Amino acid sequence: MVAIIDYGMGNVASVQKALNFLKIENVITDDHEVIKEAKTILLPGVGSFVQGMKNLNDRGLVELLTDEVIVRKKNFIGICLGMQLIMEKGMEPFESKGLGWVKGSVVKFELQDLNVPHMGWNNIQVLNDTYYKECQTDDFYFIHSYHVVPESKKDIATTVNYGFDVVASIQKGNIFATQFHPEKSQNAGLSLLKTFFEINA
Amino acid sequence: MLKVRIIPVLSFNGFGLVKTKKFSNPRMVGNPVQAARVYNSRGVDELVFVDIFASSQKRKINLKLVADVIKECYMPVAIGGGIETIEDINNLLKIGADKVIIKTKALLDTKFIEEAVAFFGSQCISIAIDAYATTEGYKIFNKLNIEISLEDFVNQMISCKVGEFVVTSVDNDGMMDGFDIDLIKQVIQLTNIPIIATGGGGGMEHYNELFSQTKVQAVGSASIFHFTQFTPLDIKNELKSIGIPVRI
Repeated sequence: MVAIIDYGMGNVASVQKALNFLKIENVITDDHEVIKEAKTILLPGVGSFVQGMKNLNDRGLVELLTDEVIVRKKNFIGICLGMQLIMEKGMEPFESKGLGWVKGSVVKFELQDLNVPHMGWNNIQVLNDTYYKECQTDDFYFIHSYHVVPESKKDIATTVNYGFDVVASIQKGNIFATQFHPEKSQNAGLSLLKTFFEINA
Repeated sequence: MLKVRIIPVLSFNGFGLVKTKKFSNPRMVGNPVQAARVYNSRGVDELVFVDIFASSQKRKINLKLVADVIKECYMPVAIGGGIETIEDINNLLKIGADKVIIKTKALLDTKFIEEAVAFFGSQCISIAIDAYATTEGYKIFNKLNIEISLEDFVNQMISCKVGEFVVTSVDNDGMMDGFDIDLIKQVIQLTNIPIIATGGGGGMEHYNELFSQTKVQAVGSASIFHFTQFTPLDIKNELKSIGIPVRI
């Protein structure tokens, strides 16, 4: 069972639709007992970093998720804001503390000639192909104004070029997280999710 | 490299899909759920769905129907029509919308747009810029008798930190005789916020012209898909042939 964390930050329905399509058992929940029972935790999310952390805190989920993912080493997949929140700190809209599971921060794009947000389909460069082996194409859907800067390059699974090499996904032990939206990236995204849940079945 | 996006636009009148000409004479063109299913199977880059009469008829958008449309889509979807509150936006995001498109409320209440951006993030909030040409330059089309120039409205929205502009030429809407390149160029000069250009696509040469003459990131179209044999893939092949990056 996959617990899709419901913390009032957007796209839970799209994520659930993708998992249902792949026939992966899942539940949208903020119930602590259900989350403790789940084999995998999926943290989606659209919105600002500060609001995301506030909503997790309001539901007592910061301690619970940290305990499940860091102490109990439960499989974790974060998407978009759900990736950004695992970092130590964010800047949106002002500097604030994140979950801190991966060392590094989330900063705003500072680009001279390119549009912000980085919005649309862009091809990734794969550094760690664990979950990408079945993807037939390398274009994924991005929509973000802030990007993740991990302290250790070892944690970077894929990058995407947008003025410079931007981190597109992170893999660190039981933690996997994508800046792009696999649930919105048609076949490439569905293949990625399928592989992740097959490996972590 | 970031690809340009080819986006089918579904305009809804509360009952079915319609296509207007110069924002008038809506003609029925089909069922939104079926259309979404076809576009998903064709692997389009994104879908726009707008209830074009929700604000003027003081209706809320039909969430059940929008949910059925989004259920067909494994690509991003932007939804517009009658959005007035944070709750309206939250309801759409909850059922799987990625972005919302706002016009009427943006003309009436810039504070609300600032609030929506603060709550959901810039990337979530798109603004519809429906412009028509006058002897004094482009103005924003609306049914509220608000007179505002293109430049003033775009600048107001830039200061609200919105994430995207859906720029439509009212004069070219549904005419299928080419995009209003000057309009798109004017908006691009004002901002580096991404733009979807719409209004006027009827043949491959029009898309060729739009992307070779402007730095626009995306194009939205309806008539060409409803009334000709051309598909989004045909447009992508045309653009690829002139060196524009597309996702095929």
